[in-house]
Amino acid sequence: MAGYSLERLNFLVVDDNKHMRALVKTILHALGSKSVVEAADGADAFKELRHFPADIIICDWNMSPLDGLDFVRLVRTGKDSPNPFAAIIMLTGHTEMHRVVEARDAGVHEFLAKPISAKALYSRIRAIIERPRPFIRTATYFGPDRRRRQIEYKGRERRKAAKQEQVVDQSSVGLSQAEVEALLSG
Amino acid sequence: MSGDEPEFIQPPNTLKNKVKYGPDGVDLDMLEKAEQIIANLQGNYLEWVQDDLAKLQGFYEKAMATPEGERAKVFKDLFGVAHDVKGQGGSFGYHLMTAIGNQLCRFLEGTQKTGAAELDVVKVHLDAMRLVIGQRMEGDGGKMGENLLRGLQAVVSKVAPK
Repeated sequence: MAGYSLERLNFLVVDDNKHMRALVKTILHALGSKSVVEAADGADAFKELRHFPADIIICDWNMSPLDGLDFVRLVRTGKDSPNPFAAIIMLTGHTEMHRVVEARDAGVHEFLAKPISAKALYSRIRAIIERPRPFIRTATYFGPDRRRRQIEYKGRERRKAAKQEQVVDQSSVGLSQAEVEALLSG
Repeated sequence: MSGDEPEFIQPPNTLKNKVKYGPDGVDLDMLEKAEQIIANLQGNYLEWVQDDLAKLQGFYEKAMATPEGERAKVFKDLFGVAHDVKGQGGSFGYHLMTAIGNQLCRFLEGTQKTGAAELDVVKVHLDAMRLVIGQRMEGDGGKMGENLLRGLQAVVSKVAPK
Protein backbone atom coordinates (compact mmCIF):
# COMPACT_ATOMS: atom_id res chain seq x y z
CA MET A 1 0.00 0.00 0.00
CA ALA A 2 1.07 3.57 -0.58
CA GLY A 3 0.70 6.80 1.35
CA TYR A 4 2.26 10.16 2.13
CA SER A 5 5.80 10.08 3.45
CA LEU A 6 6.29 12.39 6.43
CA GLU A 7 10.04 11.82 6.45
CA ARG A 8 11.04 15.30 5.27
CA LEU A 9 8.55 17.30 7.29
CA ASN A 10 9.59 19.36 10.31
CA PHE A 11 7.22 19.09 13.26
CA LEU A 12 7.13 21.34 16.30
CA VAL A 13 5.24 19.81 19.24
CA VAL A 14 4.15 22.30 21.89
CA ASP A 15 2.64 20.99 25.12
CA ASP A 16 3.35 21.74 28.77
CA ASN A 17 2.76 18.10 29.67
CA LYS A 18 5.89 16.09 28.96
CA HIS A 19 3.93 12.85 28.69
CA MET A 20 1.71 14.30 25.97
CA ARG A 21 4.78 15.57 24.12
CA ALA A 22 6.30 12.10 24.38
CA LEU A 23 3.11 10.54 23.06
CA VAL A 24 2.86 12.86 20.05
CA LYS A 25 6.55 12.45 19.30
CA THR A 26 6.25 8.66 19.51
CA ILE A 27 3.36 8.72 17.05
CA LEU A 28 5.20 11.00 14.62
CA HIS A 29 8.32 8.85 14.71
CA ALA A 30 6.20 5.72 14.20
CA LEU A 31 4.76 7.41 11.11
CA GLY A 32 8.21 7.97 9.70
CA SER A 33 8.99 11.53 10.82
CA LYS A 34 12.65 12.23 11.44
CA SER A 35 12.51 15.84 12.54
CA VAL A 36 10.45 16.56 15.65
CA VAL A 37 11.28 19.40 18.03
CA GLU A 38 9.54 19.90 21.36
CA ALA A 39 8.63 23.03 23.31
CA ALA A 40 6.97 23.27 26.72
CA ASP A 41 4.94 26.44 26.16
CA GLY A 42 4.04 29.08 23.62
CA ALA A 43 6.97 31.35 24.45
CA ASP A 44 9.50 28.51 24.10
CA ALA A 45 7.85 27.43 20.87
CA PHE A 46 8.09 30.93 19.40
CA LYS A 47 11.80 30.96 20.23
CA GLU A 48 12.23 27.56 18.55
CA LEU A 49 10.53 28.84 15.42
CA ARG A 50 13.30 31.41 14.93
CA HIS A 51 15.76 28.69 14.03
CA PHE A 52 13.57 25.66 13.31
CA PRO A 53 11.56 25.90 10.07
CA ALA A 54 8.50 23.97 11.23
CA ASP A 55 6.16 22.75 8.51
CA ILE A 56 3.49 21.63 10.93
CA ILE A 57 3.03 22.84 14.49
CA ILE A 58 1.05 20.64 16.86
CA CYS A 59 0.17 22.68 19.91
CA ASP A 60 -1.79 22.26 23.10
CA TRP A 61 -4.24 24.89 24.30
CA ASN A 62 -3.61 25.03 28.05
CA MET A 63 -0.11 26.28 28.70
CA SER A 64 1.50 29.11 30.59
CA PRO A 65 2.81 31.78 30.44
CA LEU A 66 1.76 31.89 26.79
CA ASP A 67 -1.15 29.58 26.03
CA GLY A 68 -1.86 27.83 22.74
CA LEU A 69 -4.30 30.43 21.49
CA ASP A 70 -1.95 33.34 22.19
CA PHE A 71 0.84 31.38 20.54
CA VAL A 72 -1.23 30.83 17.38
CA ARG A 73 -2.08 34.54 17.24
CA LEU A 74 1.59 35.39 17.69
CA VAL A 75 2.62 33.07 14.86
CA ARG A 76 -0.07 34.46 12.56
CA THR A 77 0.08 38.16 13.30
CA GLY A 78 3.23 38.83 15.35
CA LYS A 79 5.42 41.46 13.66
CA ASP A 80 8.49 39.29 14.13
CA SER A 81 6.80 35.97 13.33
CA PRO A 82 9.27 33.71 11.50
CA ASN A 83 6.53 31.75 9.74
CA PRO A 84 3.01 33.22 9.70
CA PHE A 85 1.86 30.58 7.18
CA ALA A 86 2.88 27.52 9.24
CA ALA A 87 0.25 24.82 9.40
CA ILE A 88 -1.09 24.51 12.94
CA ILE A 89 -3.00 21.65 14.54
CA MET A 90 -4.61 22.59 17.85
CA LEU A 91 -4.55 19.66 20.22
CA THR A 92 -6.82 19.97 23.22
CA GLY A 93 -9.33 18.45 25.57
CA HIS A 94 -11.50 21.54 25.13
CA THR A 95 -14.00 20.34 22.57
CA GLU A 96 -16.92 22.63 23.23
CA MET A 97 -18.30 24.39 20.16
CA HIS A 98 -17.25 27.86 21.31
CA ARG A 99 -13.72 26.61 21.93
CA VAL A 100 -13.47 25.11 18.47
CA VAL A 101 -14.69 28.39 16.98
CA GLU A 102 -12.21 30.35 19.11
CA ALA A 103 -9.32 28.18 17.90
CA ARG A 104 -10.48 28.51 14.30
CA ASP A 105 -10.70 32.28 14.64
CA ALA A 106 -7.16 32.44 16.03
CA GLY A 107 -5.98 30.85 12.77
CA VAL A 108 -5.52 27.12 13.34
CA HIS A 109 -5.75 24.75 10.38
CA GLU A 110 -7.03 21.70 12.20
CA PHE A 111 -8.47 20.85 15.58
CA LEU A 112 -7.74 17.52 17.26
CA ALA A 113 -9.55 16.41 20.41
CA LYS A 114 -7.71 14.56 23.14
CA PRO A 115 -7.37 11.71 23.84
CA ILE A 116 -5.52 11.28 20.57
CA SER A 117 -4.67 8.25 18.48
CA ALA A 118 -2.20 7.71 15.66
CA LYS A 119 -5.04 7.51 13.14
CA ALA A 120 -6.69 10.71 14.35
CA LEU A 121 -3.43 12.66 14.29
CA TYR A 122 -2.53 11.38 10.82
CA SER A 123 -5.99 12.25 9.50
CA ARG A 124 -5.34 15.91 10.43
CA ILE A 125 -1.87 15.87 8.90
CA ARG A 126 -3.29 14.33 5.74
CA ALA A 127 -6.01 17.00 5.61
CA ILE A 128 -3.32 19.68 5.70
CA ILE A 129 -1.36 17.96 2.93
CA GLU A 130 -4.34 17.28 0.68
CA ARG A 131 -6.30 20.49 1.18
CA PRO A 132 -3.95 23.45 1.17
CA ARG A 133 -6.07 26.46 1.95
CA PRO A 134 -5.46 30.03 0.90
CA PHE A 135 -4.90 32.55 3.65
CA ILE A 136 -7.31 35.36 4.30
CA ARG A 137 -6.41 38.79 5.58
CA THR A 138 -9.07 41.08 7.01
CA ALA A 139 -8.98 43.86 9.58
CA THR A 140 -9.57 41.31 12.32
CA TYR A 141 -8.27 38.00 10.98
CA PHE A 142 -5.22 36.53 9.38
CA GLY A 143 -5.07 32.81 8.84
CA PRO A 144 -6.23 29.91 6.69
CA ASP A 145 -9.56 30.31 4.94
CA ARG A 146 -12.25 29.48 7.50
CA ARG A 147 -14.84 28.61 4.87
CA ARG A 148 -14.64 24.85 4.78
CA ARG A 149 -18.11 23.98 3.64
CA GLN A 150 -19.62 24.62 0.29
CA ILE A 151 -22.60 26.84 0.97
CA GLU A 152 -24.58 28.41 -1.82
CA TYR A 153 -24.11 32.12 -1.24
CA LYS A 154 -26.25 34.64 -3.05
CA GLY A 155 -25.05 37.86 -1.46
CA ARG A 156 -22.38 40.25 -2.62
CA GLU A 157 -18.98 38.59 -2.89
CA ARG A 158 -16.76 40.69 -0.65
CA ARG A 159 -13.55 38.78 -1.12
CA LYS A 160 -10.91 39.99 -3.49
CA ALA A 161 -9.62 37.59 -6.05
CA ALA A 162 -6.58 35.56 -5.18
CA LYS A 163 -3.31 37.38 -5.58
CA GLN A 164 -2.07 34.56 -7.73
CA GLU A 165 -4.36 32.96 -10.21
CA GLN A 166 -4.82 29.62 -8.59
CA VAL A 167 -7.92 27.51 -8.57
CA VAL A 168 -8.86 26.30 -5.13
CA ASP A 169 -10.59 22.96 -5.26
CA GLN A 170 -13.24 23.09 -2.56
CA SER A 171 -15.10 19.99 -3.62
CA SER A 172 -13.71 17.98 -0.76
CA VAL A 173 -13.63 20.71 1.84
CA GLY A 174 -16.08 19.57 4.48
CA LEU A 175 -15.85 19.03 8.19
CA SER A 176 -14.24 15.67 8.80
CA GLN A 177 -16.04 13.02 10.80
CA ALA A 178 -13.60 13.39 13.66
CA GLU A 179 -14.13 17.14 13.74
CA VAL A 180 -17.85 16.63 13.93
CA GLU A 181 -17.29 14.16 16.74
CA ALA A 182 -15.01 16.66 18.41
CA LEU A 183 -17.73 19.26 18.21
CA LEU A 184 -20.34 16.94 19.57
CA SER A 185 -18.39 15.18 22.27
CA GLY A 186 -18.40 18.19 24.55
CA MET B 1 -5.07 46.19 3.20
CA SER B 2 -8.55 47.62 3.42
CA GLY B 3 -10.62 47.05 6.53
CA ASP B 4 -13.75 45.52 5.05
CA GLU B 5 -12.33 43.85 1.98
CA PRO B 6 -10.90 40.45 2.79
CA GLU B 7 -8.13 39.41 0.49
CA PHE B 8 -6.85 36.01 -0.52
CA ILE B 9 -3.19 35.24 -0.15
CA GLN B 10 -1.85 32.07 -1.68
CA PRO B 11 0.97 30.93 0.61
CA PRO B 12 3.87 28.96 -0.83
CA ASN B 13 2.91 25.30 -0.63
CA THR B 14 6.14 23.90 0.70
CA LEU B 15 4.47 20.73 1.94
CA LYS B 16 3.72 19.66 -1.61
CA ASN B 17 7.43 19.68 -2.41
CA LYS B 18 8.44 17.84 0.73
CA VAL B 19 5.77 15.16 0.94
CA LYS B 20 5.97 12.33 -1.55
CA TYR B 21 3.23 9.81 -2.15
CA GLY B 22 4.59 6.32 -2.49
CA PRO B 23 5.15 2.86 -1.04
CA ASP B 24 7.27 4.22 1.83
CA GLY B 25 4.49 6.53 3.01
CA VAL B 26 1.97 6.18 5.80
CA ASP B 27 -0.41 3.36 5.01
CA LEU B 28 -2.80 1.30 7.08
CA ASP B 29 -0.06 -1.09 8.20
CA MET B 30 2.09 1.78 9.45
CA LEU B 31 -0.90 3.27 11.28
CA GLU B 32 -1.68 -0.07 12.91
CA LYS B 33 1.95 -0.39 14.00
CA ALA B 34 1.86 3.15 15.42
CA GLU B 35 -1.30 2.31 17.39
CA GLN B 36 0.45 -0.80 18.70
CA ILE B 37 3.43 1.26 19.82
CA ILE B 38 1.06 3.51 21.79
CA ALA B 39 -0.62 0.44 23.27
CA ASN B 40 2.80 -0.74 24.41
CA LEU B 41 3.17 2.53 26.33
CA GLN B 42 0.28 1.55 28.59
CA GLY B 43 2.72 0.52 31.33
CA ASN B 44 4.30 3.98 31.22
CA TYR B 45 0.87 5.56 31.41
CA LEU B 46 0.03 3.58 34.54
CA GLU B 47 3.17 5.02 36.14
CA TRP B 48 2.74 8.63 35.13
CA VAL B 49 -0.99 8.75 35.88
CA GLN B 50 0.06 8.20 39.48
CA ASP B 51 1.61 11.68 39.35
CA ASP B 52 -1.74 13.11 38.29
CA LEU B 53 -3.56 11.24 41.05
CA ALA B 54 -1.01 12.51 43.59
CA LYS B 55 -1.47 16.06 42.28
CA LEU B 56 -5.25 15.77 42.57
CA GLN B 57 -4.88 14.47 46.13
CA GLY B 58 -2.49 17.34 46.93
CA PHE B 59 -4.84 20.00 45.57
CA TYR B 60 -7.78 18.36 47.33
CA GLU B 61 -5.94 18.54 50.65
CA LYS B 62 -4.89 22.11 49.91
CA ALA B 63 -8.52 23.02 49.22
CA MET B 64 -9.58 21.41 52.48
CA ALA B 65 -7.02 23.51 54.34
CA THR B 66 -8.05 26.72 52.55
CA PRO B 67 -10.94 28.88 53.77
CA GLU B 68 -14.01 28.33 51.56
CA GLY B 69 -14.00 31.85 50.16
CA GLU B 70 -10.43 31.50 48.93
CA ARG B 71 -10.61 28.14 47.17
CA ALA B 72 -11.25 29.32 43.62
CA LYS B 73 -7.58 29.12 42.62
CA VAL B 74 -7.23 25.59 44.01
CA PHE B 75 -10.36 24.53 42.13
CA LYS B 76 -8.75 25.88 38.99
CA ASP B 77 -5.67 23.75 39.71
CA LEU B 78 -7.92 20.72 40.26
CA PHE B 79 -9.53 21.41 36.88
CA GLY B 80 -6.13 21.53 35.20
CA VAL B 81 -5.13 18.07 36.44
CA ALA B 82 -8.57 16.58 35.75
CA HIS B 83 -8.25 17.96 32.24
CA ASP B 84 -4.92 16.17 31.78
CA VAL B 85 -6.46 12.91 33.03
CA LYS B 86 -9.33 13.37 30.61
CA GLY B 87 -6.97 14.02 27.73
CA GLN B 88 -4.69 11.04 28.25
CA GLY B 89 -6.59 7.99 29.51
CA GLY B 90 -8.27 7.09 26.25
CA SER B 91 -5.01 7.14 24.29
CA PHE B 92 -3.78 4.22 26.38
CA GLY B 93 -6.96 2.20 26.56
CA TYR B 94 -8.29 3.77 29.77
CA HIS B 95 -11.40 5.40 28.36
CA LEU B 96 -13.06 5.29 31.77
CA MET B 97 -10.37 7.65 33.09
CA THR B 98 -11.23 10.02 30.26
CA ALA B 99 -14.94 9.76 31.11
CA ILE B 100 -14.39 10.38 34.85
CA GLY B 101 -11.92 13.21 34.14
CA ASN B 102 -14.42 14.77 31.76
CA GLN B 103 -17.22 14.59 34.29
CA LEU B 104 -15.05 16.18 36.97
CA CYS B 105 -14.04 18.96 34.55
CA ARG B 106 -17.66 19.68 33.62
CA PHE B 107 -18.59 19.81 37.30
CA LEU B 108 -15.69 22.08 38.29
CA GLU B 109 -16.30 24.54 35.48
CA GLY B 110 -20.05 24.62 36.15
CA THR B 111 -20.09 25.06 39.90
CA GLN B 112 -20.03 28.47 41.53
CA LYS B 113 -19.55 27.04 45.00
CA THR B 114 -16.40 25.66 46.60
CA GLY B 115 -17.84 24.26 49.82
CA ALA B 116 -17.74 20.90 51.57
CA ALA B 117 -20.25 19.28 49.19
CA GLU B 118 -18.19 20.32 46.16
CA LEU B 119 -15.06 18.93 47.78
CA ASP B 120 -16.91 15.66 48.36
CA VAL B 121 -17.62 15.49 44.63
CA VAL B 122 -13.91 15.98 43.90
CA LYS B 123 -13.02 13.25 46.41
CA VAL B 124 -15.36 10.61 44.97
CA HIS B 125 -14.03 11.28 41.47
CA LEU B 126 -10.47 10.95 42.73
CA ASP B 127 -11.35 7.70 44.52
CA ALA B 128 -13.01 6.41 41.35
CA MET B 129 -9.89 7.20 39.30
CA ARG B 130 -7.75 5.35 41.83
CA LEU B 131 -10.09 2.37 41.62
CA VAL B 132 -9.95 2.31 37.81
CA ILE B 133 -6.15 2.35 37.82
CA GLY B 134 -5.82 0.01 40.81
CA GLN B 135 -8.18 -2.54 39.27
CA ARG B 136 -6.77 -2.01 35.77
CA MET B 137 -10.26 -1.30 34.43
CA GLU B 138 -9.39 -0.87 30.78
CA GLY B 139 -11.76 0.35 28.09
CA ASP B 140 -15.14 1.45 29.44
CA GLY B 141 -14.70 -0.83 32.46
CA GLY B 142 -17.63 -3.07 31.53
CA LYS B 143 -20.55 -3.38 33.95
CA MET B 144 -18.43 -2.19 36.86
CA GLY B 145 -17.36 0.88 34.93
CA GLU B 146 -20.93 1.62 33.98
CA ASN B 147 -22.05 1.41 37.61
CA LEU B 148 -19.15 3.58 38.71
CA LEU B 149 -20.03 6.33 36.23
CA ARG B 150 -23.71 6.15 37.11
CA GLY B 151 -22.84 6.49 40.81
CA LEU B 152 -20.64 9.50 40.12
CA GLN B 153 -23.34 11.10 38.01
CA ALA B 154 -25.81 10.64 40.88
CA VAL B 155 -23.40 12.41 43.25
CA VAL B 156 -22.89 15.25 40.79
CA SER B 157 -26.60 15.69 40.16
CA LYS B 158 -27.21 16.09 43.90
CA VAL B 159 -24.62 18.84 44.25
CA ALA B 160 -24.42 20.56 40.87
CA PRO B 161 -26.56 23.65 40.28
CA LYS B 162 -29.89 22.80 38.70
